[in-house]
Amino acid sequence: MNSSTRSARGALVTLVTWILVLIFFFPVLWMFLNGFKPESLASSINPSFIFKPVTEGYQLAMDRGMAGYLQNSLTAAVTSTIISVLLAIPAAYALSIRRVKNVQNSLSFFISTRFMPLAAIVLPLFMIFKTVGLLDNIYVLAIVYGAMNLPVTVWMMRSFLLEVPFEIIEAARVDGAGMFREIVRIVLPLVLPGVAAAALISFIFAWNEYFLALLLTSSAARTTPPFLGSFVDGRGQFLAVLSAAATIAALPVIIAGWVAQKQLVRGLSMGAIK
Amino acid sequence: MTATADRKVRSNREAGARAGGPVDSIDAAGLGRARAAGLVAPALVLVLAFLVVPAAWTVYLGVTDYRLTGIQAANPEFVGLDNFTAALADPDFRNSLWLTLLFVLGSAIVGQTVAGFALAWTLRTVPKLVRSVVETLVLLAWILPSSIVAFLWVAYLSGDGGTLNAMLQTSGTEWLLEHPMASIIVFNTWRGTAFSMLLFSAALGAVPPSQLESARLAGAGAFAQLRDVVLPHIRGHVLTNTLLISLWTFNDFSPYLLTAGGPNHASETLPVFIYNKALYGGQLGYGSAISFIMLLINLVIALFYVRLLRERR
Repeated sequence: MNSSTRSARGALVTLVTWILVLIFFFPVLWMFLNGFKPESLASSINPSFIFKPVTEGYQLAMDRGMAGYLQNSLTAAVTSTIISVLLAIPAAYALSIRRVKNVQNSLSFFISTRFMPLAAIVLPLFMIFKTVGLLDNIYVLAIVYGAMNLPVTVWMMRSFLLEVPFEIIEAARVDGAGMFREIVRIVLPLVLPGVAAAALISFIFAWNEYFLALLLTSSAARTTPPFLGSFVDGRGQFLAVLSAAATIAALPVIIAGWVAQKQLVRGLSMGAIK
Repeated sequence: MTATADRKVRSNREAGARAGGPVDSIDAAGLGRARAAGLVAPALVLVLAFLVVPAAWTVYLGVTDYRLTGIQAANPEFVGLDNFTAALADPDFRNSLWLTLLFVLGSAIVGQTVAGFALAWTLRTVPKLVRSVVETLVLLAWILPSSIVAFLWVAYLSGDGGTLNAMLQTSGTEWLLEHPMASIIVFNTWRGTAFSMLLFSAALGAVPPSQLESARLAGAGAFAQLRDVVLPHIRGHVLTNTLLISLWTFNDFSPYLLTAGGPNHASETLPVFIYNKALYGGQLGYGSAISFIMLLINLVIALFYVRLLRERR
């Protein structure tokens, strides 16, 4: 192969990649643009790229009570993140730094629950909460999300804790630090990036969750994803307002995802890929 | 402690960590079984209460004729394996199982893996800034809530004023009605590629450039380089990736937001089938039996994965 055909091929590959990237990005770009169009322009058959931006869509979204749904989403996502991180830290600590044989078996248990399809647990949850009158309660939803995210956060933190040099912990023990102090003062600061990444991932999952929210909430506790989902239809008469609402709802995860990007794969493969 | 002894301690610990073998020796400071269990217990209880108990309940519901409303809602009866035999004879269920297989094969094993690898492979050589911009853009598709991306695609594929029709000059084509399976497969490929891309990027970073270079000097073409140099290095990553994305795709509920399983069951993958049967049709017992079948399939894949993790450690 001579160099000119190679560079020609290289240029072709680069071109194909950029086209691929454009295809990937296009729907998101389209959403962003449509949110700033007047409704008539957004749902017009001829797509337009150049237009005078308006905030009509955003105002309409807020008029539909978007703020309440966003607040519910925030409550569910933040509460569940706190629950899963607070419970995962001691568990991961016991499963990595201070390992005891039999307790170690719970690791496989944690990981296997990660593979529980939501479809398999949603019916009983729905029935139980219906019986005890806990449907449509945002904190109940948050606790379920906390449980849903625990397997990931435990495994992720464990993979970070395994990297803490043993000498540091030993030194702390020689100093006579108690277990609690050892965790809070010595171990946690060392794995803070890992804790942050686990928290962000758990936030993203809870913020995005649709299936459970659809079934376990109806009005007072309804979160943003089912609210948006209920307006999805092919006729497109709400395109501008939906695009605006979707853009608002997308912002928190875009920021969280951008920050956690480097740790996402590690978290989701549960530490298998560093 | 001398540096050598220091290293020895650490390597012992790492050896223990990898093998998952004898760990009692590590517990030198004496955390003790009771305290260790106490640290793990809160997390265990939450997972038990909200994931395992409901799953067990699903198993129980699956052998009853429980319904959302009517007589069987108050007094469900034990029906043994009737729901399972009914499922096996139900053409809708078999259709759904087949569609789920197509969905996993088409969008995860072929679509996401190929697109993700192609992107990772190309991005390897581009400048760092370009690479991180591209990765972030592709990541958007994956990280946005499913209800948002579903809405984007519904608008994109709509027959009446849909953007795709405007671009292809195929006005009036109702993609979601005329090609429902193809639509959800393309959708899920688009949505999930980012994970494979990021995972393969990490994997390709571990392939020694010198080996690629010497293979190229020896006259190996791109395909031969991939097969003989790259693949042996990333075999484990390929397996991890395939297992995870297959599971996620298998359990994915997003197709519901695009087609709701229709038209006429043409894109009704298992999670959508369960939803339609159990909550729309009110057959909770039957839906639970199908959930149990899904649970079993998940368990088999999960066992493979746990094994894989053990070997890696």
